[in-house]
Amino acid sequence: MNKIQIAIVGAGPAGLSLAIELSNMGYEDIVVFDREDEAGGTPRHCGHLGFGIFEFYRLLSGPDYAKKLVSIAKDKNIDIKLTHTLVDIEKNTLVFSTNDGIQKYVAKKTVLALGARETPRPPRFISGIRSPNIITTGALQRFIYMHDTAPFKNAVIIGSEVVSFSALMSAKHAGIKIKALIEEEKNINSFSILKPLSELFLRIPVKVGYEIKSINGENKQVQSVTISKDGIDETIECDGVIFSGKFTPESSVLKKSFKDFNYVNNSVFVSSAFQTTNKNFFAVGNVLRGALTAFKCYFEGKKLAKYIDDSLKHEKLRPLHVKIACDDTIQWYYPSMVDLNYPSKTLTTLRVKKKTIGKIIVSVNNIDVYEKQINAKTYTNIKIPRGNYPVSKNDTIKIRLEN
Amino acid sequence: MKQIDLNNLFPKKTADFNEDEIFDIAVIGAGVVGCGIFKEFCENGAKTVLIEKENDILEGASKGNSAILHTGFDAPPDSLELDCVKRGYAEYIKIKEKLNLPFLNTKALVVAWSDEQVEKLDAILKKGLNNGVKELELIDNKEVLKREPNLSSEAKAAILVHGESLIDPWNSPLAYVKLGLQAGGKLAFSHEVKDGHFNGDCWEIKTSQKTIKAKTVINAAGLYGDIVDSIKGSKDFKIIPRKGQFIIFDKSAYELINSIILPVPTKITKGVVITKTAFGNILVGPTAEDQESRTSSITKAETLKQLQQKAYELLPSLKNHDIVATFAGLRPASDKNHYRVKINDDKNWITVGGIRSTGLTSSLGLAKYVFELNARKYKKPKVKSSPIYIQNISEFKERDYKSSDYKKIICHCECVTQREIENALTSEVGAGTIGGLKRRTRVTMGRCQGFNCQAAISNICEKSKS
Repeated sequence: MNKIQIAIVGAGPAGLSLAIELSNMGYEDIVVFDREDEAGGTPRHCGHLGFGIFEFYRLLSGPDYAKKLVSIAKDKNIDIKLTHTLVDIEKNTLVFSTNDGIQKYVAKKTVLALGARETPRPPRFISGIRSPNIITTGALQRFIYMHDTAPFKNAVIIGSEVVSFSALMSAKHAGIKIKALIEEEKNINSFSILKPLSELFLRIPVKVGYEIKSINGENKQVQSVTISKDGIDETIECDGVIFSGKFTPESSVLKKSFKDFNYVNNSVFVSSAFQTTNKNFFAVGNVLRGALTAFKCYFEGKKLAKYIDDSLKHEKLRPLHVKIACDDTIQWYYPSMVDLNYPSKTLTTLRVKKKTIGKIIVSVNNIDVYEKQINAKTYTNIKIPRGNYPVSKNDTIKIRLEN
Repeated sequence: MKQIDLNNLFPKKTADFNEDEIFDIAVIGAGVVGCGIFKEFCENGAKTVLIEKENDILEGASKGNSAILHTGFDAPPDSLELDCVKRGYAEYIKIKEKLNLPFLNTKALVVAWSDEQVEKLDAILKKGLNNGVKELELIDNKEVLKREPNLSSEAKAAILVHGESLIDPWNSPLAYVKLGLQAGGKLAFSHEVKDGHFNGDCWEIKTSQKTIKAKTVINAAGLYGDIVDSIKGSKDFKIIPRKGQFIIFDKSAYELINSIILPVPTKITKGVVITKTAFGNILVGPTAEDQESRTSSITKAETLKQLQQKAYELLPSLKNHDIVATFAGLRPASDKNHYRVKINDDKNWITVGGIRSTGLTSSLGLAKYVFELNARKYKKPKVKSSPIYIQNISEFKERDYKSSDYKKIICHCECVTQREIENALTSEVGAGTIGGLKRRTRVTMGRCQGFNCQAAISNICEKSKS
């Protein structure tokens, strides 16, 4: 059993920026763990530009951004342990599988910065064949940027989130022709300007409001995708399909080890101070809610340093939270607990699952205390202010959506 | 940028024997049944070759099933199937330790969800006892929920079947093939049987690679059983592929149930099975859909939704867990609802067909039955005493990631190590398809479905190819 002061699991933007900030505050006994053999997290395989503006005032590619973060951490002599896969959490003990055997660590404070992943094809229930040519953006980018290989020649992208257009740029870089980008909803799931931009400048049809009827092919080789709108089928020939977006926290190991699990977010409950229901555990970054941009995670990590500092300095400061419940019309919300020790201007920030015109209502003990008209798309961040109503330990806070 | 063909990551296997070699036995089809028969004949001294059209074992019906070792409590009474299931079960228990094969005796509950179904439990119990499966109990609603607290409280009563268990459906047949090889057998992968000629003493089997000579042919061609059977000159049965769609839930759901939850079969619906798997997941399925195609194992969104709905009804907390995979398997059902095993003595031909659903359990028993049916004696071989190495990938035996010196974990969802992947590629009867690699190691079969590791694995395969 190894005892340390601060353990951070996940060496992506959130985990590394937290480690760097803690180091700036004078903390030395920090270990950052990562399951990969290289630190940096998801940006490592986002080969396009778009990183670093707010953090380093420079426009960087994902891999350069990851390198920059890692090199700052290394300059500060932060201990990054790679190829450490978190396989279990036993009470406060982190259990890692490593090449040197199972390693156990107990830290005074542990931070879960496990990140997120895309939702692949199976849980989406799309009819058709199974094939290795049906992959996610993450897999595509790893083929291209980490192994310098192109897994197919003509592909269809399913989804229209920012990451879907990132898949499009990655494909273009690898010489893969994108036959169409397909969205089941009536509008694209990100900045609407991306549709005309893709169509005009890249000549890629962006098809919204189409049902994906089936993925067709033989002998595990994709040959086409059939889509349908208003009862009319259309078949697009291709040898690959990319399922993009619908990010979800990489939280399977937490589901087993946390008694209270937030199934709406598919993550643990966290307060505005990133505190979980276990007083020695914090969670930060995309493990809270699926993917937001790297800079968002970076600044969350940085912000968390203060709370960790507090909790280490004031051992007697007992966490006091009240859980916030949301129904499953909500895509995700965070924080998911009100922190009674740290007053906050925001109650929570959330996204809706489907485009919604209606109102958001907050209730405490079933009495409505706040409501707000919304006209929200699936990628709109809706901020709900904390307000002045009193909340105490045993209250029930609920958020609901009314059309 | 280099193009990588994800459907062609493995070199085509060739056979290491000459065309003039004459075998005692040629087994056609390396599904679980073929693998079992191959082992049995090799171990009894017959010079045996296993012929398979694909580049690996288990590429047809045997790749997708519910991975249960059955007791035979619900098998047709006095049938060959019942005999073989019971013999196969016993044989598996006998060899599992030596081969490092997993066996988890979870027990099964045949749960009645309506009064109509409760009435049927007595008959099921009686049938089971008549089938010689002694460890059966009728339990009430209270006892069901005591055993399975997460099950819907609608469960009225159940039959507890003590013997039903979980095994690894992929590495056990692999072990059978390795045992056969150790006893001197030969393998011919990527040899698709095209035609055959019997000269009164010996068969000449024409394949897509070489012509193979054997005194007796055993047809275990599964989904192609009737086509291969027509080579002998007469057509005795017709294969009607039966598709079964499945849903697999993430490992986080594993603790939700303790036993295998079986349905009470009724005339209207077959119901759905909910079971743990040897790999620590929850499996729901299968459907039963007859079809023409022997290859098309497409999944249908509508059917999957129904399966999911049904599973949520029976086990409500399943809703909180991720679906990690959906797939369909094809069972080689025939135009009659029983095994189609027959010997044509004058033609030295044995048909082992229509093994439509219990093949995983019955294969070792079926192999013994077929050996007896053949009724020929061979000189027992001297078997090399070197132990057979079977990699354990089930969660209830020690996995590689819990040991050390495995290099690194490549597939994080399933905790598959680099050493496991290298072993699967390079050991005897190494993976010959990407599916074969998955079945040996479980790479990319977890919740991210390759988001993290597919590129790395494809490139490892591509490199080991050259």
